[in-house]
Amino acid sequence: MNPAWSQNLFYFLAGTMAIMGLFSMVTKHILRSAIYLMVVLFLSAGVYLMLDAEFLAGAQVLVYVGGIIVLLVFAVMLTQSSALIEDHPTIKRKLLGALGAGSFFAVSVYLIMQSPLVNDPVVTAETASIATLGKTLVDSGPTGYVLPFEVISILLLGVLIGGSVIARKEK
Amino acid sequence: MLFQIIILSLFLFSLGLYGLLTRRSSVGLFIAVELMLNSGIINFIAFNRYLAPTQVDGQVMGIFAMALAAAEVLVGMAILVMLFRLRKNVDVVGMNTLKH
Repeated sequence: MNPAWSQNLFYFLAGTMAIMGLFSMVTKHILRSAIYLMVVLFLSAGVYLMLDAEFLAGAQVLVYVGGIIVLLVFAVMLTQSSALIEDHPTIKRKLLGALGAGSFFAVSVYLIMQSPLVNDPVVTAETASIATLGKTLVDSGPTGYVLPFEVISILLLGVLIGGSVIARKEK
Repeated sequence: MLFQIIILSLFLFSLGLYGLLTRRSSVGLFIAVELMLNSGIINFIAFNRYLAPTQVDGQVMGIFAMALAAAEVLVGMAILVMLFRLRKNVDVVGMNTLKH
C-alpha cells in the first residue's frame, strides 16, 4: 500500500479507537459500553492487519468480537438488574480516576519521549509468514513454544469444565 | 509509525485504568480489563513488526494473551452469574462473602 495512504488509514483507525474507547469507559449503560468495546476490538484487528499480523487479526475477530463480547453481553442480560445496567460513579471517584489515569498517561508519554523509540526504527519489507508462526507455535526446539501452547490448552480445558461447574444450577 | 502505535495503545491502557478506577459493577470492570489486555497485545505486535520482523515471538505472545483473556472472562462470568443468583446484584463493593 502507498505509505501516505496507510498512514492516513492508521490515523483514522487510531482516532476512532480512541473515541470509542473513551465512550466505552464513560457511558453509564454497561450494554452500550460492551458494544463500544466491540468496535474498539474490531478496529484493533485492522491495526494488526496493517502490522502484517494476519493470523492475529483473524483470531482477534473470532475470539474477542465473536466470543468475549458475546459472553459479556450474555452476562449483562442474564444478570438483569438496575445496579448492573446503570453505573453512576460519584464526581469524586471520577476526578480521582481521571487524575490517576491521566498522570499515568503523562508520565508514560514523558518516558517514551526520552527513549530511542521516538526515532522510527528502519522498516524492513520482509516479514514472517503465517507458516512461520504456526511452526514456531508447535516447535519443540529452543526457540519453539510447544510447552506454553500445551499448558494453554490444558488451562482452556480446565476453564471450560470449571466454568460450567461454577455456573450450573444447584439442586 | 511505532511511536504513534505505542501512544495509541498507551491511551487505550489509560482509558482502561480510568474505567477500572471508576466503575463499580463487575461487568464494567471486566470491560476495562479487556481494553487494557487488548492494548498490551497491540504493543506486542507492534514491537514484533518493527524490532524483529522476521521472527514471530511477539505474535505468539499475542495469541497466548488472547487465550488467557478468553479464559479469564469465561471464569469471571461464571462466578458473576453464580454471585448474582446468590445476592441479586453485581456491585463489587458488596462482594465480601469470603471475608465474613
